[in-house]
Amino acid sequence: MNEKDFGERIRPWLERSAGSVGEIQATRLRSARLRALDAWREPVRLVGFVTVGAGTARMIKYSILQQGLLWLPIALLLATLVAKSLAPEVDLGELDAQLLTGELPIDAFLDKDFDNWLKNASGSF
Amino acid sequence: MRPRLARAVPHRPRENLLATRKELSDFLSSVERRAFKQCVFSVQDEDTALDLVQDAMLKLSENYAARPREELPLIFQRIVQNTIRDHFRRNRVRSAWTSLWSSLGFTGETDEADPLETFEVEETGSIPASPAERLEQSQVMAIIEEAVQALPERQRQAFLLRYWEDFDVSETAKAMGCSEGSVKTHCSRATHALAKVLRSRGITL
Repeated sequence: MNEKDFGERIRPWLERSAGSVGEIQATRLRSARLRALDAWREPVRLVGFVTVGAGTARMIKYSILQQGLLWLPIALLLATLVAKSLAPEVDLGELDAQLLTGELPIDAFLDKDFDNWLKNASGSF
Repeated sequence: MRPRLARAVPHRPRENLLATRKELSDFLSSVERRAFKQCVFSVQDEDTALDLVQDAMLKLSENYAARPREELPLIFQRIVQNTIRDHFRRNRVRSAWTSLWSSLGFTGETDEADPLETFEVEETGSIPASPAERLEQSQVMAIIEEAVQALPERQRQAFLLRYWEDFDVSETAKAMGCSEGSVKTHCSRATHALAKVLRSRGITL
């Protein structure tokens, strides 16, 4: 008798053994099944891209496109922050304060445009 | 032979292949007793086995509702095997602490399970003609259960998955998380060990 035949002959006995589970155990198995079914939720399509069941967030396998779409808002936010931090800051209040306290660098007075602006500005005071 | 869920499923959109609540219920109903017996063979305690089956059912229902229904048998078996393994891991850690505790002079309870403990059989599936036959049948079933229970864990898993759950070698390997070669080896050893025990007890199948 080969392995497969032996397995086939053992199987009915195992089935009989499973069928002979006591009433208490059968009842507990049934209630366990019902509890498990209570936890079941209809699988849903997420943003039209992926089908998920309840509590299966960790099972979701996004495609590259979907991952890109998910990361897009974060990438945009980061890009905006970086752009803002790299942009030259023109603090007019600071410039005025330096002008009033005479702390402007010498290059500022050598700048003709600045000189003109100073003359025009002084006329208005 | 038990009808397989995985076979003869015509090509349909993926959504139509997903298990409905009714299908999940039918599936669990069809496997719960076998899973229970598998756990009993492994942990040798009915209450613990019931807890393990319940855990496995919950995990399947909560985490795998969005999987095609034909994958359920394999996924469920994998969950059952992992749940049993986790149980043994927890027990090993607990017993390590217990032995450490004992070595320090404290006393604790130790539950040593007898691997050859016989399984009580109250009744048989089909009613034999005479009381003598019923008795004989229940005795044979007890001996078979005892022999299966006494197999090493991996051999028993491989044997039950192959010849009770009707998994092929590849599916069994996936459920057990090992190679197909290991499955064949475990199955072969389990079959020979069982045959030897049954022969020594004078049982012919």
